[in-house]
Amino acid sequence: MPSITSLNLAHLHLILNHVPTVGSVVALGLLLVAFVRRDEPLKYAGLEALFAIAVLTLLVYMTGIGAHQLLRNQPELSENAINVHHDAALAGFVVTEFAGFVAWIALWQSRRRGRAARGLVPAAALLSVLALALMGRAATLGGDIRHPEIRTDVAAGDAAAADDSERFVTRRISAYMVNSTWAWPAAETVHFLGLSLSFGVLLAVNLRILGVMRQVPFADVHRLLPWGMLGFGANLITGMLFFIGQPKQYIDSAPFYWKVVFLMIAGANFLYLTVFKKGAAVDRWDSNMADKAMAVSSLLAWLIVLYAGRMLPFIGHAF
Amino acid sequence: MGFLVWLESLPLAVWVVESPSVWAQPTILTLHTMGMAVLVGASWVLDLRLLGISRNVPLSAFRWVFRAVAVGLIVNLITGVLLFACRATTWGTAIPFLIKMCLVIASAATLLPIRSYVLRSGPEQREVSGNARFLAIASILTWSGAITAGRLLAYTVQ
Repeated sequence: MPSITSLNLAHLHLILNHVPTVGSVVALGLLLVAFVRRDEPLKYAGLEALFAIAVLTLLVYMTGIGAHQLLRNQPELSENAINVHHDAALAGFVVTEFAGFVAWIALWQSRRRGRAARGLVPAAALLSVLALALMGRAATLGGDIRHPEIRTDVAAGDAAAADDSERFVTRRISAYMVNSTWAWPAAETVHFLGLSLSFGVLLAVNLRILGVMRQVPFADVHRLLPWGMLGFGANLITGMLFFIGQPKQYIDSAPFYWKVVFLMIAGANFLYLTVFKKGAAVDRWDSNMADKAMAVSSLLAWLIVLYAGRMLPFIGHAF
Repeated sequence: MGFLVWLESLPLAVWVVESPSVWAQPTILTLHTMGMAVLVGASWVLDLRLLGISRNVPLSAFRWVFRAVAVGLIVNLITGVLLFACRATTWGTAIPFLIKMCLVIASAATLLPIRSYVLRSGPEQREVSGNARFLAIASILTWSGAITAGRLLAYTVQ
């Protein structure tokens, strides 16, 4: 029996790759049933599922690149088929993140005003349908890598195009990030600005839960969350540019593992803060121990993400 | 120049630059980044409030920001001095570094009038003066400039 310690990134990718497709079907099902039954809590559950899928899809994408590194130098596998899959996965990833983002705005507005702006939930659902289609295509192309029996004609021209890496968006992004003088430093600068903005907003919101600004209703600091999301969005985009640019730097890096693990925890926390129902319009609302533990863990998770991110060049030998 | 050479020769500076330990330069750099997140993040939250985001919150509720800013400033002053000392002759003569220092001083300077404005505000005061809004914009821009300059140091100064 394989032990958990023998689990590598390819295993993880094969386990997690069901999240974007199967998850989207579940989330869309929840939204559909909520629509038919006019069931508000169920609608929120569907939106929360879309956000969770967006967070987890980060893992799917990253383990995919890990799997790619593991499969290098296996002559029986087509590098071309892997690149075709990677490009398709990037398209699916972008739309999945966007669907999660729109679902998050809908949740934030619902928490703030009792309902989301008209059209926002259908927009999230439509984006999720598109993400499902794109991820379904990525999944099929991913299957083609190991399963010649299901191979479609997309990857058929393999041998001919084997070295034509210019065709692939992901390869072009990577080449640009590595070769341009300014792309990497500029993206790093945005990454640092984004982290400051995100951290400041989460500091304020979590400090409110911990009892600072006690005279302020929670809803009033909740108003700041989209600015945290703005910083996080900037960091997601620039972070992915680094990752696609130089995957080898990150895939073998221990601090990067920790960074991603605590990013997942921080993501769960962010969702918790978004839908947090207590103390909405109550002055001098006092949080209980569980709320405080959540707030402390949120700040700690972000500090660990920061620590692991900054220590990337120094721990291990991946850089 | 003599001062910079002396600074660089201090045992602590030599340790920071020569130690292979992750607790030397890597940890000091990381603490500098965390200090930045607390310092700039807290400043920006207050700047957003001064510019009208979450305007229901009275200004006086934001006093905690100055304590967070103080923590961030102290951490970054200590780690910054250490990082400077270990390569004093390089940093002390590099124009991009001096630009960063000017921007940091300018950003910190915007905090002083903002602080006295917030501390003077009434317990229920929610409206913000035009001057304070101007200071908030200046604070956002100068911190952005300081971070940009700081990050580009890694690429422009060898």
